Amino acid sequence: MISLREMAPLKSLEREFAIIDSNFQQFCASHGLFSVGDFLIQDLCVLVALAEQHPTSERLKEGITQVLSIIDSQHQPWFNGMDLLEDAQQNKHILSTGCERIDMFLQGGLREGHVTELVGPSSSYKTQVCLQVASNVAKMGGVVFLDTGNSFSPKRIAQFLISDPAGKESDRKIIQKVLASIVCFSVFDIFTLLDVLHQLKSNLKYQTCGQVRLLIVDSISSLITPVLGGSGSHGHALMISAGSFLKRLAHEHNLAVLVTNHMVGGEGGVLKPALGESWKSIPHVRLQLSREHGSNLCSMCILTHPYMGSGKAVKFSIS
Amino acid sequence: MDMEVWRLRISATQRGKLISAGYTSLSSLSSVSPSDLARDLQISENDASEILKAASHCGRLDNSDQSHAIVTGAQTAWDMLHEEDLSRRITTSCADLDNILGGGINCKEVTEIGGVPGIGKTQFGIQLAVNVQIPVDFGGLGGKAIYIDTEGSFMVERALQIAESCVEDMLEYQEFVRKKFQACQVQMQPKDFLKNIFYFRVCSYTEQIAVINYLEKFISEHKDVKVVIVDSVTFHFRQDFDDMALRTRLLSGLALKLMKLAKNCSLAVVLLNQVTTKYSDGSFHLTLALGDSWSHACTNRVILYWNGNERYAYIDKSPSLRSASAPYSVTGKGIRGSASNSKRIKMT
Repeated sequence: MISLREMAPLKSLEREFAIIDSNFQQFCASHGLFSVGDFLIQDLCVLVALAEQHPTSERLKEGITQVLSIIDSQHQPWFNGMDLLEDAQQNKHILSTGCERIDMFLQGGLREGHVTELVGPSSSYKTQVCLQVASNVAKMGGVVFLDTGNSFSPKRIAQFLISDPAGKESDRKIIQKVLASIVCFSVFDIFTLLDVLHQLKSNLKYQTCGQVRLLIVDSISSLITPVLGGSGSHGHALMISAGSFLKRLAHEHNLAVLVTNHMVGGEGGVLKPALGESWKSIPHVRLQLSREHGSNLCSMCILTHPYMGSGKAVKFSIS
Repeated sequence: MDMEVWRLRISATQRGKLISAGYTSLSSLSSVSPSDLARDLQISENDASEILKAASHCGRLDNSDQSHAIVTGAQTAWDMLHEEDLSRRITTSCADLDNILGGGINCKEVTEIGGVPGIGKTQFGIQLAVNVQIPVDFGGLGGKAIYIDTEGSFMVERALQIAESCVEDMLEYQEFVRKKFQACQVQMQPKDFLKNIFYFRVCSYTEQIAVINYLEKFISEHKDVKVVIVDSVTFHFRQDFDDMALRTRLLSGLALKLMKLAKNCSLAVVLLNQVTTKYSDGSFHLTLALGDSWSHACTNRVILYWNGNERYAYIDKSPSLRSASAPYSVTGKGIRGSASNSKRIKMT
């Protein structure tokens, strides 16, 4: 039964394209081609020559052309620079973080379409910045907060809102309105995260009112660390697929994505961001937070930014 | 093309077989029968139907656009705020500490309590195991406790002592209340408190992981468990560990399981941890054991320390509470307010 083995993907095309019939599939299988992908690494001239020796050479060659055109149709449409600029200016807004100094530092705040990472040791205010940004963005749009450490605190968000110069009477109404536009979901493993992200993707297509502007994952590293390392590249691949999916969500649905990452001891006891080298390329913006022990003063330093130099830092405090 | 099969909760080997057979998308799995898949992957038909089950689970999630929720099962912050207002906290028996904790130890959160040996970590553990049982009429949770002991430091005589004091306090409170309102009866005896502490002794890190894996099932059979205390969470991970990467993986997995337990079962998880010294910036600092990646494993962290002859508790990390410290003391009755502060407490 070797001829039938591993033929699923070509077989799955049978219904749609009559030319990819069982005869064609058998011909392909006999030359080690089982999936559309296998055609990409095949010397096509050799394949056509082999097909010509067959009694049904015409149909076979037609089949090959069909598969190649299926491959061709896989590419995405192209854009020119002006299209991209227009998309950036019209759809990728900058969201204020609610902290004036951070906004000034980041030239306005968090960019829709970007994945921004906050990295820092324990209690360096990563979650505090997340909650602050959530409270501010929720005033004008939806926020989805994925919580891995049971640290999402609606009470804390309400505190951020009350410190606003607003009338006492209207406080409660504002708080209700803002808190109602933040949804929180607890995620305790990477598979649930992937499920939620896919679900978000399909739901964002249909959303009309109360548009989601911000997605927070606090913390992404605690989901990835348990699967990373050890033997095999399994965990590594999960990490990359989660990371690239976040980037895609951010770009296609004009979301600002904010994730947090912790730090681990590197060489000589110097702290470095967790998740290693290959995660490094995922976030568009990486910001390192640090806090002096026992003080409210916190500093934010740019590690990576698409158009700002790294190493710049700002001090801020969170009330 | 998306490699959607990464999302499936299946073994890495089976995922590899799927990909090399060309089944990379969920749609490629949507119309295949278990027997075909079993043949193509050369696996048993049982395994094949497991894979298909996992795939259809993901497929269902993706097509849930009929529901109004953006993420099925997510809660708005507004609803969560109301829930939090209704939830009761476990008192520490020290009024000052309860104050800075916003009323006590919170359910649905993981709280780490760390400090040097002899500062009273185990005392806190036992006190919380008793206090979680204070009946609802007396402002408690009326729950039960799970005590996971890794070092053998749980002392049952001490637990009895603390339980007796707790009953005394309740009787006193009852006297006080009876004069004003209707009587609420103290029906719990010290022995009842001991019966409601489920004790697990753990002698290695594999046993520790096993017992934490088992907790979900255990709690589903004992739904009134409201606190899980691990004393101490790090002991077995501090010795005999050569492969530090493996240790990090195991610990971070453990942390997520405890987080999940706290959230899904609405209970408080309290982790007791030791302190080590760490050299940085030219001086030695006290830090909690197990290092930087473990420090993310808790929602709140309370550090116990000596200030002269007095014991203090300090909130080192919390998403909702301000950093603050409060004095406490360890008395014959258990954890109580600081002796020098006790007059003030009585007056208020």
